[in-house]
This record gives sequence, C-alpha cells and structure tokens, in this order.
Amino acid sequence: MLAIRNLSKTYPNGTRALKGVTLDIPRGMFGLLGPNGSGKSTLMRTLATLQGADHGEARLEAAGGTIDLFADHDAVRRTLGYLPQDFGVYPKVRAIDMLDHFARLKGFAARSERRAVVESLLRQVNLWEVRKKALGSFSGGMRQRFGIAQALIGTPELIIVDEPTAGLDPEERLRFHNLLAEIGENVVVILSTHIVQDVSDLCGRMAVIHQGEVLLRGAPQELLALVAGKIWRKTISHAEVDDARRSHAILSTRLVAGRTVIHVHAAEPPGDGFEADEATLEDVYFAAIRGLVRNGGEAAA
Amino acid sequence: MRTALAIAAFELRRRLRLISTWIYFAVFGALAVLWTLASGGAFENVKVSVASEKVWVNAPFALMLTIGFLSAMALPVISAVMGRAVQQDFEANTHHAFFTSPITRWQYLWGRFLGALAVLLLVVSGIGLGAAAALAFPAMDGDRVGAAGAIAYVWPYVIIALPNLVLAGAIFFALGALTRRMLPVYLVSAVMLVGYILATQLASDTQNRWIAAMLDPFGINAVYYLTEYWPVAERNTRLVPLAGYVLYNRALWLGVGLAVLAFAFRRFRFAHAAHARAGKIGRDIEAAVGAAAETAPAAPRDTRWKQARPAEYRWLSALAALTWLQLVETVKNVYFGVIALTGLLFVFASSTELDSIYGTDTYPATYKMIELVGGQFSIFVLILITFYSGEMIWRERDHRIDQMTDALPVPTWVPMLSKLFALMLIPALLQVLVMLAGMSLQIAVGYTRLEPGLYLHQLFGIQLLNYWGLCALALAVHVLVNQKYLGHFVMVVYFIAATFSGAFGFEHRLYRLFQIGAPTYSDMNGFGHYMPRIRWLELYWGFFAVLLLLLARLFWQRGTGAGLRARLAVARSRLRSRVVAAGLVAVIGFVATGATIYHNTNVVNRYLPASAQKDLQARYEKKYRAALLGVPQAKITGVKVNVDLYPTEQRVRGAGTFVLTNRGAVPVEEVWINLPEFGSMADMKLAAAPRVARLELDRPAVKIADDEELGVRGYRFEEPLPPGGTTVLRFDIEQSARGFRNDDPYTRVVYNGSFVNNFQFLPSLGYVEAAELVGDADRKQHDLAPRDRARDRKDPAGLARNYLTGEADWITFESVVSTEPDQIAIAPGYLQREWRQGGRRYFHYRMDSPILDLYAFLSGRYQVRRDRWKGVAIEIYYHPGHEYNLQRMIESTKDSLDYFTAAFGPYQHTQFRIIEFPRYERFAESLPNTIPYSESIGFVARVDDGDEEDLDYPYYVTAHEMAHQWWAHQVIGANVQGATMLSESLSQYSALMVMKKRYGDARMKRFLRYELDRYLIGRGTESKREVPLARVEDQPYIHYAKGSLVMYALQDYFGQERLDRAIRAYRDAWAYRGPPYSTTLDFLPYLRRAAPPGMEYLIDDMFERIVVFENRALGAEARPLGGGRFEVVLDVSAGKLVADELGVEKQLPVDDLIEIGVLDDEGAPLYLRKHRLKAGKNQLRVVVDRAPASAGIDPLNKLIDRTPNDNVTDVAMPGG
Repeated sequence: MLAIRNLSKTYPNGTRALKGVTLDIPRGMFGLLGPNGSGKSTLMRTLATLQGADHGEARLEAAGGTIDLFADHDAVRRTLGYLPQDFGVYPKVRAIDMLDHFARLKGFAARSERRAVVESLLRQVNLWEVRKKALGSFSGGMRQRFGIAQALIGTPELIIVDEPTAGLDPEERLRFHNLLAEIGENVVVILSTHIVQDVSDLCGRMAVIHQGEVLLRGAPQELLALVAGKIWRKTISHAEVDDARRSHAILSTRLVAGRTVIHVHAAEPPGDGFEADEATLEDVYFAAIRGLVRNGGEAAA
Repeated sequence: MRTALAIAAFELRRRLRLISTWIYFAVFGALAVLWTLASGGAFENVKVSVASEKVWVNAPFALMLTIGFLSAMALPVISAVMGRAVQQDFEANTHHAFFTSPITRWQYLWGRFLGALAVLLLVVSGIGLGAAAALAFPAMDGDRVGAAGAIAYVWPYVIIALPNLVLAGAIFFALGALTRRMLPVYLVSAVMLVGYILATQLASDTQNRWIAAMLDPFGINAVYYLTEYWPVAERNTRLVPLAGYVLYNRALWLGVGLAVLAFAFRRFRFAHAAHARAGKIGRDIEAAVGAAAETAPAAPRDTRWKQARPAEYRWLSALAALTWLQLVETVKNVYFGVIALTGLLFVFASSTELDSIYGTDTYPATYKMIELVGGQFSIFVLILITFYSGEMIWRERDHRIDQMTDALPVPTWVPMLSKLFALMLIPALLQVLVMLAGMSLQIAVGYTRLEPGLYLHQLFGIQLLNYWGLCALALAVHVLVNQKYLGHFVMVVYFIAATFSGAFGFEHRLYRLFQIGAPTYSDMNGFGHYMPRIRWLELYWGFFAVLLLLLARLFWQRGTGAGLRARLAVARSRLRSRVVAAGLVAVIGFVATGATIYHNTNVVNRYLPASAQKDLQARYEKKYRAALLGVPQAKITGVKVNVDLYPTEQRVRGAGTFVLTNRGAVPVEEVWINLPEFGSMADMKLAAAPRVARLELDRPAVKIADDEELGVRGYRFEEPLPPGGTTVLRFDIEQSARGFRNDDPYTRVVYNGSFVNNFQFLPSLGYVEAAELVGDADRKQHDLAPRDRARDRKDPAGLARNYLTGEADWITFESVVSTEPDQIAIAPGYLQREWRQGGRRYFHYRMDSPILDLYAFLSGRYQVRRDRWKGVAIEIYYHPGHEYNLQRMIESTKDSLDYFTAAFGPYQHTQFRIIEFPRYERFAESLPNTIPYSESIGFVARVDDGDEEDLDYPYYVTAHEMAHQWWAHQVIGANVQGATMLSESLSQYSALMVMKKRYGDARMKRFLRYELDRYLIGRGTESKREVPLARVEDQPYIHYAKGSLVMYALQDYFGQERLDRAIRAYRDAWAYRGPPYSTTLDFLPYLRRAAPPGMEYLIDDMFERIVVFENRALGAEARPLGGGRFEVVLDVSAGKLVADELGVEKQLPVDDLIEIGVLDDEGAPLYLRKHRLKAGKNQLRVVVDRAPASAGIDPLNKLIDRTPNDNVTDVAMPGG
C-alpha cells in the first residue's frame, strides 16, 4: 500500500504541476488517468525518486517495513521498478547485455544469479528469442516489453509504469496488457496513461488527475456510478456542434461514419433528440476533467 | 534559387535573433581589440608581435595575420553553426516538416549553407571591426600605428577568412548533414586546428616550408612562406598578393571545400533514415518471434528471480563492471579510434625531423622520443579527455535511459566513479600506445637503448598524473555546468586560458590550474632537481582534484530535478558527515601543500614575474647608469680563486682575490661591485641572494652604498687609487639553490654536469649595461628613452672596454676547484696538481698566458677521450654513452688547428678541451683552452655521411668554437658596433674554410642556404633596425648568417689565400691588445688593401651597406657546335638594391662582377666565371664541352638574393 499525502510541486518556471495530491494506492493495478500535462508524469517521477517535491509525503508499506519515499531514496530504489514515459536504449547493445547491466545496477553482483534473473525476465516478456539482437532494431512494443523487464528486476514491490502504451499498435498493446496483468497481482503497480481503455482493461482501482489535482478516485464501477443515468447521446451534423456546445455540457464528440455523435452530461433528460446512453469510463473521465463530477475531496477526508 | 535564398534568409534571421550569434560576434571583436592592443603595447606584460615591433599593428601584413589567425580560431564557432545547420532538424525532429515540403534538397541544402555562411561572415567581421576600433583606444602606442586603407581590412577576408569559412563550413556542414550527429563535427574541428598547428611546426625547416604552405588548410603558413623574406618596410605597406603559394593554397583548399560540399549535396537524402529502417526490422523480428512464441511452450514462469533479491549489494563489483563498460563504449567509438590514429600519424610524420639542426637528425634518445611523442600526442589526449568526459557524463541522458538508471538502487558514487575511472583509463591506455610508438620509432632507425624504465617514469609517473588532474577537472566542469556544449566550451576556455596565462602575467603556479609543468630530462643529469616542485604541485592539485570531485559528488545530476534551487537543495541533502570530513581533509591538504609551495617559491626563493623583473632592470638603470658610467673605475687584471662545488646540495662557493688596477689616466676614487645574480640581469630569476661572507678591499675605503635589492655595493677609497696603482678585492661568496622555485630549477650546479660561469656567481665591477631593458616598448613603459644596442665605432667609452668582460682587461688566472670525490672538476688553465682531502677532490689549474675575464667551472662524472695534435693535447670530457661524435670533434679540432695555425697564427695554448654539460642550455661556448659543449648539440647528432643532405654539425660547431680561440681570445672587439663581426663572423668564416676543405663546395652550398634563409627571415623580424655587417649590434642573423654569406663570397672573389693573409695581418697587429680595443674600422682597411683591382666596391657593399641582389635567369638556349661542344646563349637580368634600416629599398646602378654558370644534369658546373654585368637584361654566349642542363646568373647563390631560386633556368635545346 502506497499512501501519498498532500504532495505539491512547482517548477522553477512557475508551473504548478502538483497541487496537494493525496492518494491511497493499494496492491494491484492502479490506473492514473489524465490528459497530457496533467501532472501524471511529475507524480510518477517524484514517486520514482527522480525529482523532489516541495511539500507532502509518501509512504510505502513494503515487506521490510514502511518506507518514506522522500527521505530514504535508497530503500525506495531497492524495491522500485520504473518504466519511464519516454526512454531510449543504447542502440548497438544486445538486449541480454543491457538487461544484465541493469541487473548489476540493481545489486545483483553474482554472475550466475544475474544470468538466472535475466533469462527468466526475458522469457517472461517474451524477448528470449531476440535476446541477442541489438536494441536499436526493436519495434516500439518490443522496446516497451524490454522496459518492463528492466523494471521487474529484483521483485519490486512498487512498479511505476508511465504511459507505456502510447504509440503501440493494437496487437502490441494487447500483448503488453497481458504482461501487466500478470505482474499486477501482489504488488503496487501504478499505470499512468491518458488512454481510458488501458485503465478499464486492467485496473481495479483508479484516479483521474487534471491540472495537478486529483479529481476522482475509486474503483471503476464506483466511478461509473457517479454518472450513471446522466449520459445522453445525439447524432448531429458538424455544423450543429457549436450550437450544441452552447446549450449542453458536452463530454465528447466523436465521428461515426462522417456524422458527429455527441455525449452530454445532464441530470435530467435534455430532450431535443437526445437519447440515454450507457455510461462508460470515458464519460466519467471527460465529466471529471470538465469539472462536472468529483469525489477527490471526500476520499481525502 | 529564390527558394534557397528564402531559406537562407530565414536561417539568417533566426540566427540573428539568437543571443549566441551576437556573443560570438562580440567575443571575436573583443579578441581582436585585445590582440591589437597587445601588439600595440597597451599592456605591460603582454606583447603580441607579428614579425617585429616595427611592423605597424594596422599594416596590411599584420592585419592579414590578425584576421587570418583569429578567424581560424573561430573554428569551434564554425563547427557549431555549420554542423548544426542541418543536424538541428534531426535533433529537433523538424526534418519531417522540411522533407515533406515542396522544396528540393538542393534548395534546402544551399539555403541552409548560405544562411550559415552569412552568419559566420557576420561573426568574423567582428575581428576586422575590433582591430580597427582598437586603434582609437588611448592606451594604443601611437608609434605602432601606421597609415592603412580600408582595403587592408577587406583583403584578408577575401583571400583568407572567406575561403576558410567555405572550406571549414563545407566540411562541418557535410558531417553534420550526413552523420546527423555533432560529435564527429566537433572532433574534426579539433583535428583541423591541430593540423594547422603541426603544419606550423613543420615549417621550421626550410625544406618543408612549401609543404607546410600547402598543407595548412587556413592558408596562414602560405602567407608566411610568401612573405618570409619581406623586410619590415614591405610588411608595413604591401598587400599580400594572391600569388605563388598563397594562390595555390587557396585554390587547393577552396577546391577541397567545394568538392566536399558537392559530395554532401549528392549524398544527402530527404529521408527519415534510421528510425524508419529500425522500425521495419523490428516488425520483421517481431513477426518471426510471434510465430515462434506460439509454437514454443509458454515462457517458463521462473520465479527464482522473485527470491533472488540480493541480500547485500556488492557495489564494488558493479563499479568495476561499469568502469569497464564505460571504457569499452568510449574506446569502441569510431571517432575515438580516428583521433588516436590521427595523433599517431602526426607523431610519426613529425618524427622524421627529430630535433634536427641544419637538417641533420639526432639519435632518438628515449627522453627525446618522450618529448616528441608524448608532447605532440598530448594535444590529442587533451582533445579526447575533453570530448569524452562530456560524452561519458551525458551518455545516459543522451540515450534517454537516465530515468531508468537513476531510479535504480545503485549508490550515486558508483556511476560517478565509474565514469571518472573510465576517463582516467583513457589517457593511461593512450600512454601505452605512446610508449609503443616511441619504441618502434627508435627500433625503426636501429636505436636499441630503449630505457623502458624512463618511459614508465615519465609517461605514467608524471604525465599521466597531469592528465588525471584534467580528468577530474573535466568531470567536475561537466557536472557543475550541467549543459553538455557549454561544458565543452568551458573546457576549451580553460585550455586557452592555461596556454596564455603565463603570457598575460599570470605566472605563479599556485593559481595556474593543473599546470604542473614537465621536467627536463638529461642523459647526464637525469631528472636533476626538477622533481620536488613537480611532486609538490601534483600533491597540491591532487587535493584540489579531490575537492572538485566532492563538489561533483554533491551536484551529480540524478533524476530530472532542474533549476539552481533544486540542485542546491539536493546538494545540501547530500552533504553528509563523510563528505564534509573528506572535504575538510582535502582543504587542509590543499592549503598545507599550497603553503609549502608558497614558502618555497616566495619565501625561500624570490618570486619574480616578468614584469617585476623588468621593473628591477629599469630601477637599476635609472639609479646607477648616470652615476657609474661617469665615474672612473679600476679594472680586474688578476684572478685567484678557490671554488668549491657541492653538486648534490646545489651549492657553489667562491673565495679568492681580484687584482684591481687603475688603467686610466686619472685617480680612481670609488669601486662599485655587483653581486652575482645582478651581474647578469638576464639570470636575475636566480634563487636567493648570495651569502657574502667576505667582501673587502686591501686599501682603506668606506662603504658608501649597500643596495640589497639590486645587489650593488659601493666603496670610496680614503685615498684615491693613482693611475697604474693596484689594490686587491678579497671575497668569499656562496650561491646555492634552496627549496624549489616557481620557475624551472637552478641548473648551474647539479648532480652531474655542473657548469657555472664566473659572472654568474662571482662579483663584477662597474655598471652592467647588459642589464638594461632593450625593447623600445618596454623602455617606454618605464619612462626610459629608446636605447641604442651598441655604441658608435668611435665612442671613446666603447673603445675603452671590450664587448665581453666589462671592467676587466686581460687577466692572469689561477684557481683551485674542488668537487665530490667521483667527479672531475675543470677550469681554464693547466692542471698543476690533483689531490683528495676531507672526502673531496681538488684540482689546481693555472693559466700560462693572459686571458679575457671569462672563465667557468665544470664538474661531472666524465670519461675522457684523449688525442694529440703536434704539441697540443686534445681532451674530450664526455658522458659515457655519448661516444657517437667524439671522433668527428677530434678530427675537426685537428683540421682546425692545421688550418688556423697556418693561416692565422699560432694557437696560444698547449691544450684544447671539450666538456659536455647537460642540455639545460643549448650552445657551445669558447673559453680559454676550454669549450663547454651542450649535450644536445653535437654529442647526439646522427650524421649520415652517405646522405648528401646531412650536415656534419658536430664538426662545424667544434671548428667554430676552436676558431674563437683566435677570434675573441686573441683579438677582441671594443664594446661598439661591429664587435661581434670580429668574433662571430670571423669564426664562421674560419669554420667554413675548414669544412669546405673536408666536404667540398657542394655541401657548403646547402649550409649557406640555411644561412641565407636565416638572414632574410632575421631582417624581416628585426625588432629595431637592420644595420650593415660592419656595424652589427649583436644581431645573430647578421653576425652569423650574413657574416657567413659575405665572408664566403669574399674568399670566392678575392681568393682564399689573399683573404686569409689580410685577416692574419689584422690579427698580428691586434692580438692581446687593448684597451683601446679594435673595431671593424681597424679591420676593414686590411681587406681593402687586399682587394684585387676592381673589387674594392665589394667591401662597401658587403660590410658598410645593406645590399640585396635581384638576379634572375630569363632564358637559355644551346646550340650544338659538333664534337660534343655546345654554345649556350643566356639571357639574365641583374639588379642591385640598397636597403635602409627598415628595408626600404632603392635600385643601385649595377657594374658588378657576377658569376655566370652553365651546369650539367647533376648540377656540376661546366662553366663558371664572373662577368661584369649591367643593370637589367644582359646577354651572354658561353661555349661548354658537354651537354648543358641548366644555366644562370650567380647559380651557386654566392650573393644575397631575395629570390635565390630563380637564378637558374633550364637550357632549351632546339630540336632536342
């Protein structure tokens, strides 16, 4: 269990990336959903000891006891697996050598031990067959799987995965989801993403973050309940979109066969050709970032 | 083209908005201002001089070099701007947008190139503007500014700067565009700079100058080559023409630039190369694996790793592995190999001219190889350290894996130290390479004394430690600056500052960061007393390096935290007790070693930076010149001295008596004594003041002055010393080195090979004119009027003294020298007795005839080679192992004695000794029957008798020094103009005649070409004024070089015997005479009388005027006459100029005897005779017995001709 309390961060240029974020993250997959620039990556990097926070604290209950994430970087790093949002590789280095290198830096000094770890991880992420290929020749999905293998070295209890599926094709994404699902059973896995589908596929609990604040938190079902019965749908022409925007709280617009389908949030039926629609997690997400629903404050209490 | 110009204009506008463009502009403007002010005498300590103080700072020649040189220094800027012109699109990922827009790649590339070129032109225009602006500064010395038009500012841009921008720009543009990386761009820019520097070194040999002129990509060496013989006046007024080698060089390199550009344009593709390809391969692999994975059993859910969590972190093994990885990644980098290889090639190339003198090589002794290979290669090591420190520290971030590695549980010191160690291993590895290169070069020439221990000691025990200091510095800079290119820039600034700090008056080693200096190793004396200072400095900077590393440890970037505040906060949090403790230890160590060094350099020894020394010199002149020169002085006429040399302690004590005689017509009232270090001001940086135990006169006198600072004491006799009267000065004085100095150590008394002259440690009398400041600018700064270097030939004060020994005439000399028991001590005179006493060895020497007041004491563990010539004992005291040229020296001695005794008169001694001394100095000196001879000239020369090009300079130097036994030790010139002609020019002539007899005329031609070169370059770099030979003011290029040329020509015109007879008559009249001493006015009448009819004019032309010829061959045709005979019709042009002291030339009428020659295909003359020619075109008909190959005017270059190469032309054979 990871407890984050009142975390704030302001960058030297004045950007307030985190404004008093408070979250309790239990074991299992936790989805952190938010648009680009919402502060997700700042939060991830802060938890991964890569940068400091201005205020707040974070504690991880690990096997060896409770770790203060900001005070004891070494302890965190020993039990942390981190896959950054945007990472590179040494293009000419073979996968197996690179992973071996990471294992060494995680403290696996003995060669035999390292070899075993590397092999089991490469098999787990299904890269064993290409272990002798240079990393520069890997596709995006393979690279991400290599990244997760790297994060899994040493049985971490806190795994942070930042935007892992951006840019992957559907097949690669599916494969990656399966991999995450396997590992997310006994440890804290934080999956940060702006893709709602990732969260609904994988996560038992989630939070929506926007402009540095947590707007929603809970299990997806709980959150769906917040908007259930308040989602309405209508198919309109492109020219009508502006009108609709003025008169309704539009959550999303989507093109279906050239026509625009809009989702609006309203407690009462808006009439005017709108029909009720089943709420999806996407609706919840858009409702939250448009300021229509929020439960962030309650959980903090 | 419109599109390309639009792209160029956009690029230009974009760059004009960048602050960096204007910073570059300002930096180069400021550099030009500083440079111009420095050469204009605005700073006391800094003198930049192109050629000569007499060349105006805004002379066309000076501007050419200022703009050419500083624009070459813009190379890093060119590489940054040009390299990024295309590469920036890849780095910023904007290339997609450009590549998909409707422009052709030609438009895109031309646009970018022209845009960048325009920006660079703007940047370097700052140089010309700065150079012009500097003239308006009040600090500018008005005498240094002449009249120059705007064209003088524009022209260097046309022929030098702009073509260089195109060339360098093309190379960097191509590299950046094709490799899409900046590293190769920066590395190649470094290599180009080094290439220029090495081309400059190559130019030191006359034979190589045209190669250097062509090789130099910046054309500066071509400008030097084209203008090398220009006198001062031409440099001030003449625009460097686009002709000759300047033209060839520019054409070559501009061509190379355009070719590179064309290549780049053809090869460049509008494609998203690397990523697209990788992606495709990836998908292919993926497909294959996907198929395999489906058939293969599911990956085993091996859970071992779950328990494998390490119980303990053995980070040391990780450190070793990481260090290895970092090192391998660096060394594997192709550019690393390229640089290292380039370095080795440079080293091999320059090894062919190993320490050559007159084109003759020396044996590749190990210390020389270390200096050559370790020294030249060090530039490359520095480049590699600089670039790869940045690469290494930024590797994770550049590859964007930093977020992963930084989140790993590895302690921060592990990656940091691994990078430091890998960085330190790079120079260690390269030193191994250097050692192997040195040894293979030695073996390649068959030299087998490899001395691996010396290699290890110097390369690893000394130089590598210097490199390691720089590694620590580079690492700390990159960590603290935390911006890769800025970090590189800071390092480059450091290297520039380190190189020039000494010249800018920052001389103390306590603040010259990591400038430890290298020892001078001598075969004779090993590392001598060099090591203490080096070791202390190593310790001092070692502690500083530790401090830097601790700082780096605190500020080491881990994670993505940015901004100064955040970094400071992180650093504070890392400030744990262990770090503080280590820091404290380092600070204490740093301060303690610093204090020790300061104590040695400034307390035990006197710290005298150049400016302070000049102040002292000025003070001495102001205080004593007027007072002392006006006062009649007694002269030293007898010396008896006991000298005790203590080589191990670097101590010498001299106790004895000088007999002082009043040689004048009026009573002498005062005696003024200079204590040794001030007696020769050039050596004022000497250790501590001498310890004077005794200094007293036999005759009652009162002390009237005791000047501690300048080391001057004055006494007034209670009763004046009458004319002819004598008194005795008793002294007991000791000089020793204590501790170590900021400058190189005291090297006169050393473990093995002590060599100390009398004026360096014994008192001297009167006013020492040699202590005065010489340079006009220096004197002006100290409010002293410009000084003549020598007196007029009729000045009575000058005639009263000889030019070498001040207030001393011919003296009697006797000495007892003692030294350590395993050494031999030597002084002029004949050994009377040798004995041991008190664990020391004593030698008693007495001279049998009067000598000049010029003697020295030497001591070393010598072997002696003995020989005889008639009644004269020949002895060479040499260092075992240096036997190479002893036989040549002995033969030269004998040949010289044969010739000189026959031609000039008897040798005054019955013994001739050559004594080797360590290579701290590089000369041979002729003292009475004693020749101290440096280890580095002659003893290690590798003369190849089979090689026509080789000059036997051990033979030549020995003959020259032998000749001084006549020319200086028998007749000595008065202290007026022309004095050195009587000693040096006559010695050159004597040695030449001995050499000619042994080696023949042909080899003389080669020697004289060196002398001609030396003379013509010398007059172009003259700092005051050129004078005719007979009025030479101790100017080596005149008394040696022109002296050789003139005297050789004269014996050719007069006939050798006739000339020798004249010289002998002069010797007979003047030997052992003075005061008054003789001058060239006494000497030249002997020549005039000896001149054959019609040749009297030669005396004036050669000795009393500066005459230069402009002879050239216009064409030659041969006509067979049958019977193997040919008639050659030869057109030549003759011209004769007289130059004033700055080289302004005037045509003279020609009615001169000039040699006409026809040569065969091996250069041997078929016809050689002097003809009286008139100015301009002359036609001659000559009949020869064999087929002629070439013909011309003065074909053997006996006359001084500024273009000696056009005197001969091929002979055309009609129908042939």
